[in-house]
Amino acid sequence: MRDILRQNNTDLLREIRLLREHLEEAASAIPPELQPFHDWIMSICDHLQATALQNLADLNLGRDSILPDILSNTQVLTRGVRLFNQRLVSPVLRARESDRLCLKMLRWIHSTHSSTHHIPMALSDGDFASWPQPNWPTIYFMPPSAQHRLLYLPLFFHEFGHLLYSCQEPEMDQLIKDLQKMIAQFLEPSAQRDDRHAQSEAQRRRVIVETWYEWVHELFCDSVGFQMGGPAYIYSFSMYFRVLMRDQYHVRPEELEHREHPVTWLRIKLLADRARRMGFEADAKALEDTWREIAATMGVVEDYYGFYTDEFLPSIRETIADMIVEAAPRAFEAHEVSATELLQLDSASKPSSPIQLLNQAWRKFLDNEDDYAAWEKKAIEGLLNDATLK
Amino acid sequence: MSIQWLTVQSFQHNQDLLAAINKLSIHLRLQLEGDEDAERTGETNKAREMLSSFFREFETLVNDTERGEGMPVLGANPRLRQLARSFVTAKRNRRRFRSPLFRKGAGYLQQLLHSDIREDRQALLESLQELRVLVEEHMHVDAERVLGEF
Repeated sequence: MRDILRQNNTDLLREIRLLREHLEEAASAIPPELQPFHDWIMSICDHLQATALQNLADLNLGRDSILPDILSNTQVLTRGVRLFNQRLVSPVLRARESDRLCLKMLRWIHSTHSSTHHIPMALSDGDFASWPQPNWPTIYFMPPSAQHRLLYLPLFFHEFGHLLYSCQEPEMDQLIKDLQKMIAQFLEPSAQRDDRHAQSEAQRRRVIVETWYEWVHELFCDSVGFQMGGPAYIYSFSMYFRVLMRDQYHVRPEELEHREHPVTWLRIKLLADRARRMGFEADAKALEDTWREIAATMGVVEDYYGFYTDEFLPSIRETIADMIVEAAPRAFEAHEVSATELLQLDSASKPSSPIQLLNQAWRKFLDNEDDYAAWEKKAIEGLLNDATLK
Repeated sequence: MSIQWLTVQSFQHNQDLLAAINKLSIHLRLQLEGDEDAERTGETNKAREMLSSFFREFETLVNDTERGEGMPVLGANPRLRQLARSFVTAKRNRRRFRSPLFRKGAGYLQQLLHSDIREDRQALLESLQELRVLVEEHMHVDAERVLGEF
């Protein structure tokens, strides 16, 4: 056993050293915005190397009693190196000059909050997602075509919401727990029975209440998206999903159980509710009308099979509002999102913030799709050359 | 938008948990064999702190889970809920899981973590060994999602 483990640890050590060489070679070509992530990656390399060396030192102690522990440590290290190799180094090794648009936006997003301004971040290819942990750099995933455009950048605000959640996880979990208790009370039957049917109903209520843990988490991130991005977020979100799949509108009851995201139509409904309550009546109506029209064309009738009823709405609103207060994301300012002001902005004038730029982009796109591409190209150049945006 | 945040958080949490178990386990074994293993003391204390915080959270989750199949476990992510359910199921499997952790619960392990008594250390070691099995079996779902299957 000792020889087997020595062989594996020595091989892992070689693999780590090889990756380190590649990372050092790549360092000169990475965009400046990626430098903090590169520094972190190198420190992880050191940590992995130290773990392999410790395993080899433990093997040299010659004690058979600790071999199962060294085996487990070698397994932990092997998975750590695989994760490093498959997922963590690629944002550095794949880095391109064109990543700067996203990286600049992400760096600005992180700079807006005291809990995140010091957290490095990186970009990788894939569907919108993130790996948010307070003691790790955040890796953001985005489909390659979206990385060169302005219209889908607001979806990063949702992903940033996951990072804000993880920075205050105990407080956020408690708020969700309180909401789950309220939902459990709504679902409680007026009369208690004690038979098989009652047991199966209790099971169903349990599943609904537990499912809301993940759902509130996502709804909170949507609210962070709107709080930071304003109407640009809701248009971006709606456009990305509205013609994707039937299940954005309707999901069978058995598939709703422990589903990780609420049905998208429900998310739209709650986003529109929040937008309306913050004075964006026209945008809220446009959003709801669009989704209702597509649903009607598909013959879909809105039904959440007891996982959501309007009775839950006031409690959900209250919980999300409390979570937003707790997380305190940067809120958009009126001049950054006002439709009239944005359309009147001179194309040569510099936007006051990335939020204004993203909202201007959506207003331009909605106003005249044909002229949009040329405007966007110039706007991106302006953003990349904006030295004041760190 | 995918749910990778949950998978990767769970994966990393389990990796950290296993590393802490192994660190403390090696230290305890060497001490039981008469080696003070002094150079590892600092790291081992960090591992104890991590395990202590895990046991505290886990005890509450397990208590909630044991209230019955119809009772929801609140304020916990689905992967932690699943770990608590796996633990409750494992408690009934005395052939595989018979250490103090599975007989007396996570709260009892809190007391053992800082004990200097030889018998307590032995009991802690047995418990850590079985906890490792439970966590390794639990984390394969996250590992498959994060690393893929070959």
